[in-house]
Amino acid sequence: MNNEVYSFALKNTLQEIQNICPDVSNTFIFKDGQVIAQDETTSKKIVNQTLDAFNAITEKAGILGGLNAVTIQGTNGQANIACMNDFYLTTISSKEADEKYVNTLTRILIPTVIRLVEKIHPAQSGDETLTTVAPELAEPELEEDETAEDEVAEEITDQTEDEEEENELPEEETATTEDEEEPFEPEIDTEPLLPEPPVTQLIVENLSGFRVPSDTVRIDQEVITQWNELYGDKKINEVKIETLSGKTTRCKFKHIKKSKDAGKGIIKMPEKIQLTLETSQGALVTVKPVVE
Amino acid sequence: MVKKKHSTLENASPLIVDDDELAVTPEEDETYMDLSNKLAEIRKDNGVIGYILRSTTSATIDLKEPEKIVEYAIFSSQALDSSQEISDLYELGDVKNVIIEGKERKALCMDIYGNKISIFMEKTADHADILKRISP
Repeated sequence: MNNEVYSFALKNTLQEIQNICPDVSNTFIFKDGQVIAQDETTSKKIVNQTLDAFNAITEKAGILGGLNAVTIQGTNGQANIACMNDFYLTTISSKEADEKYVNTLTRILIPTVIRLVEKIHPAQSGDETLTTVAPELAEPELEEDETAEDEVAEEITDQTEDEEEENELPEEETATTEDEEEPFEPEIDTEPLLPEPPVTQLIVENLSGFRVPSDTVRIDQEVITQWNELYGDKKINEVKIETLSGKTTRCKFKHIKKSKDAGKGIIKMPEKIQLTLETSQGALVTVKPVVE
Repeated sequence: MVKKKHSTLENASPLIVDDDELAVTPEEDETYMDLSNKLAEIRKDNGVIGYILRSTTSATIDLKEPEKIVEYAIFSSQALDSSQEISDLYELGDVKNVIIEGKERKALCMDIYGNKISIFMEKTADHADILKRISP
């Protein structure tokens, strides 16, 4: 995951810690020798010098089996460097600070934020991009997006016209390109009363054939009917699929044709989408409608 | 008084530092002896791996792993030096004590009237209690 995401979340968290504990004068977080987030009161020079001193101890800490935490008690205050989820949090506090309170606060707050960022980020990326999201491939994803933009440039033009005409000619492509420029926010603003999209768990089954579109999954008609009943005249052109490992994608959907496959709780998925989601037949995925 | 010699003979090889050129005051000598006695008591605790005590003229090392004396000594010295560096950066004053927690063991390092002490222990050992007992 991109460190910038952590940086944003953790910087705000550090600021909040200092707001709550005014006796905490300096805080910063580093990982693998790189500073991820730091408060506004600590200069880069000081941070780097701290890292050098800390690394010097780490290099010699083999006899302790690696380093987890260092607490330095000085006559005027204390410094603490503690490992949390592979991140090292440095906290400098005055001697008036309640050590237990500060430790409890930081050791709960920081790991919680890290875990939250790890969980939330993949889902957000899935919403923001046209193509499938692999959390660890954030940067290549940008290039893909640019390519995608070129490919659908024509569609975007059509979309603009469509918007001006207030959806007189609604098409599936309309929804796809619209998401790329303005993912959800405008819709949330204009349709605040839409119910939360229901999440359905389905089992992946292979979908193959000569004329099978590679960008469309097939879902039980019963599920689609439920969605239509829930959202009335709202358009549902796409679904968002998420695997248990957090990989997400959006694609078109149709109902399952064969009656023998109906009502089995399956989602028939072309190989291309399976590859994108890094999933395969028999795996469990969650599916929810993308309401336009 | 010009010469000091200390050693601890338990299951470790004692390291003796002699220096005819250096001198210590009776107070310093007394502090060193006092710390040495306290450390010998602490050493008997469950979970305590050993300790290093050094002043400007003498040193006592008692460790379970005598073959790793050099590693422990280097770590001890580095921990106190780097801690003082960090303390100086943030104006924390003189370092009273440092607790370094490793994945398998931990160390309590401190400087008492110029006597540098490092106590090594298992993670389960009560370093707060040891700190209380060794502090002046």
